[in-house]
Amino acid sequence: MKTKKWFILPVIAGLLLTSTACGSDRSNDAASTASSEASAASPASKPELRALVKWIPEGYEDHPIAQMLEEKTGYKVKYDMLPVDKPEDKLNLLIASSEPYDTMTIGGSNKALYADYAQKGALVDLTPLIDKYGPNIKASVSQESLDAVKVNGKIYAIPTRSIEYAGTSLMIRKDWLDKLHLQVPTTLDELTTVLKEFKDKDPGGNGDKNIPITIKGDAPMVDNIVGAFGVSNAWNDVDGKLVPRVMDPAYKDYLSYMNDLYKEGLLDPEFAVNKDATVKEKFTNGMAGVIPLHWADIPTIADALKKNIPDAEYVYVPALKGKNGKAGLAVVSGFDSLTFVPKASKHPEDAIKWINAKLEPETFKDMSIGVEGVHYNVKDGVYTPILPKFDDERGTASNFHSGIDEKNYPVYWQVRVHKDQRLYEGWEYLNKEQPAEVYFSNPLGIAPYFPNFSKNSAKLGQMENDYSVKVIVGQESLSGLDSFVAKYKAAGADASYKEINDWYATKKK
Amino acid sequence: MKKRSFSDWSLDIFVYLILSVAGLITLLPLANVFSKSVSAEWAVISGKVNIWPVGFQLDTLRNVVTSSVFVQAFAVSVFVTVVGTLLSIFVTAITAYPLSKRLPGISFVMVLFIFTMLFNGGLIPTYLLIRNLHLLDTLWSLILPAVVNVFNLLVMKSYYETLPEALEESARIDGAKTYAILFKIILPLSMPVIATISLFYAVFFWNDYFHPMLYINDEALKTLQLYLRDVVMQADSATAASKSIDELMNMSPEGVRAATVVASTVPIICVYPFLQKYFIKGVLVGSVKG
Repeated sequence: MKTKKWFILPVIAGLLLTSTACGSDRSNDAASTASSEASAASPASKPELRALVKWIPEGYEDHPIAQMLEEKTGYKVKYDMLPVDKPEDKLNLLIASSEPYDTMTIGGSNKALYADYAQKGALVDLTPLIDKYGPNIKASVSQESLDAVKVNGKIYAIPTRSIEYAGTSLMIRKDWLDKLHLQVPTTLDELTTVLKEFKDKDPGGNGDKNIPITIKGDAPMVDNIVGAFGVSNAWNDVDGKLVPRVMDPAYKDYLSYMNDLYKEGLLDPEFAVNKDATVKEKFTNGMAGVIPLHWADIPTIADALKKNIPDAEYVYVPALKGKNGKAGLAVVSGFDSLTFVPKASKHPEDAIKWINAKLEPETFKDMSIGVEGVHYNVKDGVYTPILPKFDDERGTASNFHSGIDEKNYPVYWQVRVHKDQRLYEGWEYLNKEQPAEVYFSNPLGIAPYFPNFSKNSAKLGQMENDYSVKVIVGQESLSGLDSFVAKYKAAGADASYKEINDWYATKKK
Repeated sequence: MKKRSFSDWSLDIFVYLILSVAGLITLLPLANVFSKSVSAEWAVISGKVNIWPVGFQLDTLRNVVTSSVFVQAFAVSVFVTVVGTLLSIFVTAITAYPLSKRLPGISFVMVLFIFTMLFNGGLIPTYLLIRNLHLLDTLWSLILPAVVNVFNLLVMKSYYETLPEALEESARIDGAKTYAILFKIILPLSMPVIATISLFYAVFFWNDYFHPMLYINDEALKTLQLYLRDVVMQADSATAASKSIDELMNMSPEGVRAATVVASTVPIICVYPFLQKYFIKGVLVGSVKG
């Protein structure tokens, strides 16, 4: 008998463990039932909402905006963040297990996921709720935006429209130009001439390491240069039809131009393996004369460049004109995020009331840019931030958005580009100082969901990149373009083309 | 002392050379990340930081370790690691003991354990189980499912089997009961294997990313690895195309990411030197008698 006693302790320990685990959960349940009873008892009181939101480094708990919103809207909200890495996996899990979130906000690039949920009946139809409880939503979010998120004619999400802006252009070393008595290039031919001079005269004194222009290996379609060939965006209007770059006749010309740059040693011979950081390294070390750069990166690049080469100067190249006078900068357009209400929500009506309350004009302004005199100053309609208060308390404000005031927000938003003078100048040059006809807004930005296009676009994009790089480095010859295009079409481009142009034809009417 | 021949020497040199290269291969990336975390941002951007810091500064590191989100995540990770390791080692030690004895039916119990090593319910059923046990959004969801690792259990069991049976018999003759034998004689003799397995468990609990990613939604309960992954991934250029303009403008600089990696890796690295002597001994223990 005695020998069997040892068995008892682990069993007891096991029992204890399970009972403590259950114990803690029971108290959770008790708390939640208590709160729901409380809300049932007094119908006027507002329930606590659960919101699934995008990741921000400082977290949402005790965030100044969250506190402000609780005060103004009267809703206490528990925020949970999606992971940055593969948020869709986690989201699928939460949807599949019917977690009772009241709102879920995902990145605008996940439209396919949203459409999938809507079609499978995982989301609440918001159309009647917006009519009933959403006067501010209707006043703020345009019909065009709402139409773009319709699935089978019903609205399942409140879209947050992106700020429209031209982001990337070519940045050139102004001091190199000055040294060689050259002007900033305005056409493609002038750019080629400048690059040749950079190569022959080596104004940076780099010797063997001199690189006239360098680009990223995963972005062989260089912004601004593609505009000179009339293919600013991934899809462009060619005689009334939307055509992807690869199927565009200009694609061939573009590749042969880039191939020439490569052959003549003007384009970085190592570009195919360049990562984003490598391109920046080469520029800030004074080895590269021209790089494609987003204006959001200007402050960090400028700091590093100044430290390494104190008298370095940089300037954006204007939209370059090609042979037939074409020029273009791609303008980002679309949705930053989509906010929807899952079927598992316990308070769908309150969720819409909350979103509506967030779009009340004063609340929306406070949420987005803060309070005048505290977070920003305004003079002649120009908003400037008060730092560091603005960054500390409103720096990540766009993550709190679920729909924006589409008329006023683009103006409010400009407070952000005033955070740094150099940033502002870059943004202003690309977005205010170019002629209106060079801006080409992404035609698919606020398009509805296309099943074939969504399914294939990543694969097709990869095919395009791989092939472009191979042609530029001379590994593939352009004579094989036709067979590549045939492969590209077969891989889904034809199906996407049809689907997109069916929609495009109705849109133009 | 025997004189060493030339071939002995050359073999030694060869071995040291290989080991140094292998050591450097693992050490250099670490040194690089560490240097980035204490270098000036401009030097990091322009790729000037290799092994040694350029423009030495500690502000980035200080800002990272004093940010409230980091401190909270750190505390959660420490809790999970300490409680998880203590609980795991306790349960493993007392489970392995009966399994090392010749008791009726014990081999069947052993098969049950080994079965879980080879087969499991799969991701979704496991998630549903955790949910139905109401463990979601509790730290127990990170600890309880991992409390026994069968491999560690086998190591422990093999170690017990190497202890001479005569030891127990003499204790029993001296009047010791089963518990006294286990806690006063067997466990103190098992310190090397306990140290090793503690380290295995501690490293597992500290580095675990997947389970917290699945089971934890509450911000207050997020572990350090979750936070680290988010910080590193949000500035990943591969996803830049799908980022909104505000996200692009708010991207954390590489120095901050490096500092976060350093701050979350150093604590577990610090544990190694203290346990290393047990570690080397421990991996071999129980390997002779299988």
